[in-house]
Amino acid sequence: MGLLDKLSGLLGLKKKEVHVLCLGLDNSGKTTIINKLKPSNAQTQDIVPTIGFSIEKFKTSSLAFTVFDMSGQGRYRNLWEHYYKEGQAIIFVIDSSDRLRMVVAKEELDILLNHPDIKHRRIPILFFANKMDLRDAVTSVKVSQLLSLENIKDKPWHICASDAIKGEGLQEGVDWLQDQIQAVKT
Amino acid sequence: MRPLSGVMENKMAASGDSAGCRPNSTEANSKWLDAHYDPMANIHTFSACLALADLHGDGEYKLVVGDLGANGRHPRLKVLKGPSVLTESPLPTLPSAAAAFLMEPHEPRTPALALASGPCVYVYKNLRPYFKFSLPPLPPNPLEQDLWNQAKERSYWGAWQGFGCASRRSRGDSSWPWPSSGGDSRKEEKAFTSWGKQGLWSKQDRIDPLTLKEMLEGIREKAEVPLSVQSLRFLHLELGEMEAFVAQHKNQPIKRQTVITAMTILKKNLADEDAVSCLVLGTENRELLVLDPEAFTVLTKMSLPSVPVFLEVSGQFDVEFWLTAACRDGNIYILRRDSKRPRYCIELSSQPVGLVRIHKTLVVGSTQDMLHSFTHKGKKLWTVPMPAPILTMSLLEQRSRGLQAVMAGLANGEMRIYRDKALLNIIRTPDAVTSICFGRYGREDNTLIMTTRGGGLVIKILKRTAVFGEGAGEAGPPPAQALRLNVPRKTRLYVDQTLREREAGTAMHRAFQMDLYLLRLRAARAYVQALESSLNPVSATLREPLKLHAVVQGLGPTFRLTLHLQNTSAVRPAIGLLVSFLYNESLYALPRAFFKVPMLVPGLSYPMETFVECLSDKGISDIIKVLVLREGQSAPLLSAHINMPVSEGLVAA
Repeated sequence: MGLLDKLSGLLGLKKKEVHVLCLGLDNSGKTTIINKLKPSNAQTQDIVPTIGFSIEKFKTSSLAFTVFDMSGQGRYRNLWEHYYKEGQAIIFVIDSSDRLRMVVAKEELDILLNHPDIKHRRIPILFFANKMDLRDAVTSVKVSQLLSLENIKDKPWHICASDAIKGEGLQEGVDWLQDQIQAVKT
Repeated sequence: MRPLSGVMENKMAASGDSAGCRPNSTEANSKWLDAHYDPMANIHTFSACLALADLHGDGEYKLVVGDLGANGRHPRLKVLKGPSVLTESPLPTLPSAAAAFLMEPHEPRTPALALASGPCVYVYKNLRPYFKFSLPPLPPNPLEQDLWNQAKERSYWGAWQGFGCASRRSRGDSSWPWPSSGGDSRKEEKAFTSWGKQGLWSKQDRIDPLTLKEMLEGIREKAEVPLSVQSLRFLHLELGEMEAFVAQHKNQPIKRQTVITAMTILKKNLADEDAVSCLVLGTENRELLVLDPEAFTVLTKMSLPSVPVFLEVSGQFDVEFWLTAACRDGNIYILRRDSKRPRYCIELSSQPVGLVRIHKTLVVGSTQDMLHSFTHKGKKLWTVPMPAPILTMSLLEQRSRGLQAVMAGLANGEMRIYRDKALLNIIRTPDAVTSICFGRYGREDNTLIMTTRGGGLVIKILKRTAVFGEGAGEAGPPPAQALRLNVPRKTRLYVDQTLREREAGTAMHRAFQMDLYLLRLRAARAYVQALESSLNPVSATLREPLKLHAVVQGLGPTFRLTLHLQNTSAVRPAIGLLVSFLYNESLYALPRAFFKVPMLVPGLSYPMETFVECLSDKGISDIIKVLVLREGQSAPLLSAHINMPVSEGLVAA
């Protein structure tokens, strides 16, 4: 078995598995993004607020992603930290049109970055400035300013403007994440 | 782009805070996130006119503001979504309260919005006008009705009156100058009116606007039934505007309506969060009305001894409820379901400025800068003083932690949060807060919304991790009280002294008083003597108010002596003063022991330097007297004694 595994790994038939955490405030579009990344036959039509968390899987050209889609509701946010250890990458989704709660997103991000399980690991973080289709959405540059992303010095990070309903900008972000994960592995 | 600028301002404000203008900013920052601050939001309102509601049923809570407008000019209904205004519509009169309530139990359960303004409650559904409830009209004053009827009929008679006047004038009655048609004609009209009441002049009854005004004023002062709005507006008018007003309004019947002073909501028959609720209105004619949520009929009516200004309710209308009304007479009345009159009365020593109910206790803010707490039966629990006048109060309810606390906005720009007596948190705001509201806003559960006196809007979000701990030492007795003092044992001496004090207390007190009086007498004598001989360095005479202050510098044998002479009078300069030094000539030598002082301008301190040489090498020092004299007078104005230091230069040598 072990030999076969290695062999298929070498031949690139079996893809490497990575665990990714998908975080963000409620109603920011985490589940919608993950749903869009799944193959089109596995996508669901109606997205409901996630309770607790859900585990989703999808594959890219070279990696098999296992995503922990965490609920963003205030009362479930204390669950996030229990999954930090397993996560090899983080997707942080922000609702660009909710200016009032940008401070809350920043607060949650700061708590995340200062958590002992995250603080000293060089873990890639992908930010999706989501809901770009909405009229009062701010640009991804503005989002990164509001969240003070420039202060993240010890982790690779990338911010993508996205529209999860149409699927715009998602592939760019996932490609970057894939490159980062492979760079860490090798 | 405006929205961005709002957030940026907020960031700047936050950084300004951390720079140290808030003494307890670290604590404040640890609990609240500054989501938004717009000092130019132009929202002027009170806590009663703020309501948070999911008006569209989409889970996005909006803020409803009954805005009084700047200076109370342009009242508006504003609905805010996030940091910006979603819709805005003008209101006919100033709003008095806003509330969101569920009208019917069917889906979709979107709440209706009720806005009390003047005598009406405007009900909106989905932000569209849905229903307008007007308070039932009150019977008008019959006298007032009569007067307006007469004013109505005047038009038929106008020509006739003109003729009458003309005839008077043609008669050349000198006691009745026409342009100032003062009392005479009015007396006449009054006579007509009184006849009219007797039915003599029923057809020709008429009064001109001036008379109408005078008589309405008479009614306003005396009658028990107040005047209608129409008459009150008429009384405001200038002479020129009256005629047009009468012409415009004479055909409208006199309606007397009261206005709504307070409004709140009361659950109909279920205690659920989203249960159908009734509106409870407090009116200017001292009544409380409970309205049916669907038909808007008056379900019950209760009367109060005074005008209610703040209302709090608990319970359900069909089961049992408690109604608490803080009134303008400084009392709080508590009513129950089956009582038409107040059941309990809490008498405050001052006017209430806010009323908040937490479970079964009431917290009342008073104009004496105090928070009082009472049970729902009127028993006083505690009182906490505030550092500044209370402007507004509201309830903070954090459901996730089961916290209920009182928020009080103070005039010194503080917003204090109290749980019972314990101060939980202080938020400092850039301006005094006039309205507060806490609850779910947008999608965030614990949002605090404040508007300031200058029309600013502050939105803060309670951090998810924030826990309000009771401030140490705030609750209960201070910790020092629990410390055991190290009291020494009673010695023999102590016991003897106590005995003696107990027996000869009167004599000891007398001896003490005697000594005290002697001391005071001696002090007074010395003072008088000092004044008489001008020994003091401050001149007491009114003509020459002067102050002298001398400094000796140096180690010796040569010292520098600097005199600071100041004219302390307000305007008058001092001229012709002399300074003289008196000293032991065998000990000291001065280059000039007597010199003239230049003119002293009021307020300035003139330094005058001179050198003093010590002649003795024995380490002796003496006093040098400085006298300030007026030319031609032998008594000095003031004097100073300078204790010269020992000349160390010579001693060392």
